[in-house]
This record gives sequence, structure tokens and C-alpha cells, in this order.
Amino acid sequence: MGQILQFAINGLMSGAIYALIAVGLVSVFKATRVVNFAHGYLIMFGAYFYFTFAVLVPQAAWAPEWLQSWRPEWMLAMRADLPMFSPMAAVLDWLANLPRIVLGLIGALVCNALLGLLIERVLMRPLMGQSVFAMIMLTVGLISILSGAAQLIWTSDAEFVPSLAPNTPIRFELFGSMIFLFGADLANMVIALLIFGGIVLMVRYTKSGIAIRATAEDQSTAYSMGISVPRVFSRAWVLASTTGAVAGAILATRNGISPSLGLFGFSVLAIVLMGGLDSYLGVFVAAMVVGVLEALTQWQFGGEWAGIVPYVAVLLVILVRPYGLFGSKEIERI
Amino acid sequence: MLSVRDLHLSFGGIKALQGVGFDAVPGEITAIIGPNGAGKTSLFNAISGFYRPERGKVMFDGQEITGLRPDKRAALGMARTFQNIALFRGMSVLDNIKLGAHTRLNAGVFDALRYFGRAQAEELALRADIENRVIEFLELDLIRKAPITALPYGLQKRVELGRALAMRPRLLMLDEPVAGMNREETEDMARFILDVQEEFGTTILLVEHDMHLVMDICTKVVVLNFGQQIASGTPDEVRRDRGVIEAYLGAAA
Repeated sequence: MGQILQFAINGLMSGAIYALIAVGLVSVFKATRVVNFAHGYLIMFGAYFYFTFAVLVPQAAWAPEWLQSWRPEWMLAMRADLPMFSPMAAVLDWLANLPRIVLGLIGALVCNALLGLLIERVLMRPLMGQSVFAMIMLTVGLISILSGAAQLIWTSDAEFVPSLAPNTPIRFELFGSMIFLFGADLANMVIALLIFGGIVLMVRYTKSGIAIRATAEDQSTAYSMGISVPRVFSRAWVLASTTGAVAGAILATRNGISPSLGLFGFSVLAIVLMGGLDSYLGVFVAAMVVGVLEALTQWQFGGEWAGIVPYVAVLLVILVRPYGLFGSKEIERI
Repeated sequence: MLSVRDLHLSFGGIKALQGVGFDAVPGEITAIIGPNGAGKTSLFNAISGFYRPERGKVMFDGQEITGLRPDKRAALGMARTFQNIALFRGMSVLDNIKLGAHTRLNAGVFDALRYFGRAQAEELALRADIENRVIEFLELDLIRKAPITALPYGLQKRVELGRALAMRPRLLMLDEPVAGMNREETEDMARFILDVQEEFGTTILLVEHDMHLVMDICTKVVVLNFGQQIASGTPDEVRRDRGVIEAYLGAAA
């Protein structure tokens, strides 16, 4: 019993990351009807931008020393008295890294937003009014361009980056069994859930959200009613690339960073299809289900099965409900 | 008001519009008629900004708007409905009409913060007032909460008209407002269109196949055939025009 809870919680934590990735796919689809096959590579760029600003820039000769490692007197004094693996030591280590983590996140958000805008302006906008299929094929082409560019710029060596939150081990009892977590994983989950929730609220209650919903339902009508559809398009792409930047940074802290990070986008695409391309709620549920299934499969059958079983479940769901768990019925299938 | 000058538009080899030009009569109803494929909807789309004409001008209140995007034209006071019902199906009747009252939906989070306070309250009150007036005017009271999909065709068309009206347009463009309607629904719609014109003094431009409706309620009729403007004038003049009779009944007549 104790084990299953532990693995389910691990699953929920990766599910939250899937949901954060999925939010970008759903937002772009809602606004533009484009299934963005290159979303995973947008995330990979976010991860590399985080790496650039959190690792490469602080290492540069011209960077101030506190950026690389911030160690004021009081911190050194505190650190000296602590035993090796105390939680407080982990928090202090994280604090020393905090300047570069913040710089990394800001850099990743800004650069990825610009990248998203560039893609929308240069590649998507000129195709507005043409068939959506052309834009979808374009995102497929974008995959090779982005992954090639990343290898050119950053080489394909795997690299490591500082995690977003202190990585203290956390132990607690739940229903009579011991649960063991890492602080960074928990913080990643909280970050992912907050962003997801914020976006859902934004789409539901703000004017820009209403504009996105109206555009999702009918582009020409929204356009002729005074909604600037091009602006909705670029907002959706910026939303996708900035949430992607955070997701990329989180993924990079979990497994290190390399161009193969882009492949992540494809597994999330399956999740999005399961949830329904245009439904935030559906995608959230699907992300959590796949996350938990993955973790439980790993526990019962080992790691090599973990990549297969959840996606068989996705396939089954799509067979029964082609438009996804919560998707609108007329939604396209791909 | 609206004037169109020497409009040319083609799709590949097909010349959809060849030198169309007319003025809409301010505060009156102008109709665009013509056989299928005459270019009526293309003309509508060029006026509302979805197509960019190769030559010619569209003027609105003396300002040239030929290159303006549809949302900018909406902000100037042009509203349109579509040939196929283009309501937001996931929303209720009231929400659809509210969306019309939003015309300037571009305001973002920061605008909203800056705007907070009295000005916003006044704006909201004004908007609610418009919504209520439109709903009352078009007799949509009983169905304001109903989902769009639950409504019969004629009512959906009326909601679409309501949404356009909530934009407080000075020019209202209706693309086949009574297409597919039965006699009774057509009469209702004709009454509402006339009411809009009388009560709000809105200039109306409509594309329509129903000749009875056109001849009954319009002050001016523009006739297109194969992208060319073959006649324009009062319903009576157009009815007697030889070119028009040929276009509708074939050259032999």
C-alpha cells in the first residue's frame, strides 16, 4: 500500500509537468486551429536559453562573481556549522545559486517569447486565411530547423543546470505509510499547477481570454466583430513559448539537457489528443492520468514498459472517444 | 457614408469583381442583388476587409479604408452578419450579444487595471443598457439564457442580427438575412430590419435573393452579374431595366 501511494504521487508530479507542456499546445490550437508539432522543440529552446543564462553567462569571464555563486559572509558562517546532508544546507546551496536561477528564468522567458513571436510573425502570419493544413506542415518542418539550430548553437553534449528550488529531501507520513519526495520536484509541481490555473482563469475571465475563445469558435466572425485576430494569434504563440520556457527549464533540471529534449513534445501531443485538443480541463485530467499510469507501470513492470503502457491507454481512449475525453465533438483528429 | 469606387478583384483567372462602384444611401437600405456567382459575397468581403481588391477604393465617412483590417473597420462602426450562421455556438444568446457590445476587445490586463474605477463602471452600465435594448428590441427576452444550438434557424439569424446591433454600428451589412427562412420568418426579419433603420437611423447594406423582400424594403438596388455592375437605382428603375431582365430571365426574354 505504501509503495502505490509513493508512485502515484511521483506520477502526479510528472503529470503536472505534462500539463504545463500541454497548455501551450492547447492555447495555440484554440486560437489558430494549428496543431503545433514543434512544441517540444520550442520547449527544448526554452531549456537551452535557461542553460545559457543560468550556466554559460555566469561562467563568462566578464560576469560578476556573485552571479556564479552568491556566498555572503553570513551564509558561509551558517554553512560551516551545519552537518553534511542537513535540509538547511540544501536551502543554503540553493540560495547561493538563486541569482543565476533568476537570471536563467528571466532570460529563458524573454528569449523564448521572442522566438515564439518570430515564428508567428514570419512563418504563421503570412499563411493566415490559407488552409490550416499548410501551417501544420510548417510546424513539422520547424522541428528539423529548431533541433538543427540547437545543435549548432549549443552542441549536442548533455549538460546540467541548477534546479529551480532547494532540493531538500522531504519525508512525511500519509495514510500510515512513509512518503519520500525531493523538494525541487514538489516545487516544480506547484509552479506548473499555478501557471496552468492562471492561464485557465485568464482564458475564462479576461477580455483577452474572451477574444481567444471567440477566435477559437469562428475566426472570421471574431475578426469582423472588432477582435484583432492577428493579435490573438501572436498572444497564443507567446503564451505557448513562455510556458514552454518554464517547462523546458524544469525538464532540464530533472534529466539534464540535450537536443533530444524536443521528443518530449510528442508524448505530450498524445496526452493532448486524449484530453481533447481544445479543452484545458480534459488535457489536465489526461496529463495526470498518464503521469500516474507511467509511474505505476514503472513500479510494477519496470522502466522499459513505462514508455508503452500509458500510450496504449491513450490509444484506447481515442478509439472510444475520437475527440478526446472532454474535446468538442467537431474537433479535428490527426 | 459608404462609397465604393471601381472595385476590381480576381481569384486566379476568375474575375469576381470588375469595376463595381456605388454609394450606400445614408440612413436607408441598399440592396445588392444578382444571380448566383455574380460576386455579391465577394463584394461584401471586400467592403468588410476580408478580401483586398486589386484596384479601386472603399471609402467610409470620407476616409479611405481599402487596406484596413476587418477589426479596425469594425471599430469604425461597420458590423456584418454572415451568409451561414456564424454565432459562437459554445456560448448563450446573451453572451453572443455581449460580445458584440465589446467591440474594442483589445484592452489587455494593463488597460483594465488603468481603467479601473468610475469610467469603467459607466462603460459597463452603458454596455448593459445596450444589451438590454437590443434584446428587448429583437424580442429575444425569453431565450436570453438559451444555448445557441437549441434555437430554430430563424431565431439564430435574429440573434446574429442582435450581436451586430450591439456593436452600435453606423453601417450594418447583412449577407442574405432571410436565406432558408419560411414566409413567416422572412416577414419577421423584414420587420426587424425596417425597425432598425427607422429607430436607429442605421445605414443598411444587404445581399439578398428574395426579390419580394428587396423590392419592398430597399431604397436603392445595385445589380451585379458576372462581377460587373449592370444596373443601380430605385427598385422600380431596376425592375424595368433591360439588362437586369436579361440577366435574370436569360437573353431570349
